[in-house]
Amino acid sequence: MFECNRLKKVYRERVVLEIESLSLSQGETLALAGANGSGKTTLLRILAGNLKPTEGEVRTASPILYLPQRSYAFRGTVLDNVLLGANDQKEEALRLLVETELLPLKDKKASSLSGGELQRLAFCRLLVRPCKLLLLDEPTSACDAAGARLLLAALERYREKHGCTVVLSTHTPVVATQAAKRLIILHNGRIEADGDPQTILQSPSSDWAKEFIAGWRI
Amino acid sequence: MDSFRQAFDLLFSLDKELLQILGVTLRMSFFSTTISCLLGLPLGALLGTRQFRGKAFLKKMIHTLMGLPPVVAGLIVYALFTHYGPFGSLNLLFTVRVMVIAQCLLILPVVTGLTASFLEKGAVPMIETAKGMGLSRRRVLFLCLSESRASLLSVVLNAFGRSIAEVGAVSIVGGNIQWKTRVMTTAIMLETNKGNFSFALALGIILLLVAFVVNVAASWIVREEAYDV
Ligand SMILES: Nc1ncnc2c1ncn2[C@@H]1O[C@H](COP(=O)(O)OP(=O)(O)O)[C@@H](O)[C@H]1O
Ligand SMILES: [Mg+2]
Repeated sequence: MFECNRLKKVYRERVVLEIESLSLSQGETLALAGANGSGKTTLLRILAGNLKPTEGEVRTASPILYLPQRSYAFRGTVLDNVLLGANDQKEEALRLLVETELLPLKDKKASSLSGGELQRLAFCRLLVRPCKLLLLDEPTSACDAAGARLLLAALERYREKHGCTVVLSTHTPVVATQAAKRLIILHNGRIEADGDPQTILQSPSSDWAKEFIAGWRI
Repeated sequence: MDSFRQAFDLLFSLDKELLQILGVTLRMSFFSTTISCLLGLPLGALLGTRQFRGKAFLKKMIHTLMGLPPVVAGLIVYALFTHYGPFGSLNLLFTVRVMVIAQCLLILPVVTGLTASFLEKGAVPMIETAKGMGLSRRRVLFLCLSESRASLLSVVLNAFGRSIAEVGAVSIVGGNIQWKTRVMTTAIMLETNKGNFSFALALGIILLLVAFVVNVAASWIVREEAYDV
């Protein structure tokens, strides 16, 4: 579903991403973790086609849906926003609003939502369409535990229905272990660990990973 | 106070010369604004959203040109269109057309620079969100344009304001010829020089009124429902 080789991104002579090779097959879900600035957003933006790598290339399936790290509210109500992505699929839009408990807010101005509400809205707005590759940049970062659970459930349903491949970045261990069968930990733009989330969390392969995971659990 | 009365008397007596001057002013400002925006908005969009070689240099150039003194712009265009200049054969000097050209030289960099800096600041998350939703390129473009219409309108109004208030360039290349290239600002200059202060002030008040009406009309076009507070 995507494949990249010798991928490198350099900003002003500073290497922020360097990946020898990485591929993901149809239907897989990959979680990306790593400290702030480790290159998660950079990788997702390259996969989404929003950023040109300095070296290397990526091949991806299409269509791709991509959720940027910062949610944006378009003008109009919550429902208007969700319908932007839909091709007259009002029912699907309403169903998603119900699923993420945004229905009572559907006539509110999108710009007046709280951070977590806006993040749920951005999620609904994305999932009204089918896709082959779904890229989510910290999709639950602004949500409380209940909100995160709603989003994970909605994601699970969407993935079952469309059989798409998912890459999501997160700072929350449960999101990684619950949503994904594979976890990659980035450190200064390089892959530090890659494998089954439980295994990585329980027996980190390096001192650095051990320390990171210890800090991650709090 | 006298000036205010005079301004209204002038306006409501529908003085023929005043109407003609107003007409020339609006025609000039309309074309200067339209041409500058037709070129400057897309240019600014490219500059604000794309990365390319020489971009930093181009931005410095544009920022410098944003501060170009109107008289200098007037002088350059005068030199180009004077009888012996490269475009002298076009016989455009002292016409409204050449006034529009001189104003575009002034306003185009402003429109380009303002559009670019507005987009650099806030538009990337918006564009990435719209693209990420899987919309077609055209829908992304229209959605983002409609989303930014208030900011884009303020760029357009800024251009219009500069055009209608500008005096240095238009007096050099236009020559302030009665019934032909005289506009509100050059008329005000002339009346002031003649010592007709209150008449000049009356013209100034009318100029302000026109600018106000245009602004109100424009903001009505992009009006938005008030936000809940
Ligand atoms: N446009 C940019 N110019 C320069 N540096 C950037 C730019 N975008 C990101 N970076 C740098 O790249 C590194 C990786 O950033 P990012 O991928 O956003 O990290 P993460 O999402 O893992 O927190 C950071 O050090 C960041 O400062
Ligand atoms: Mg990030």
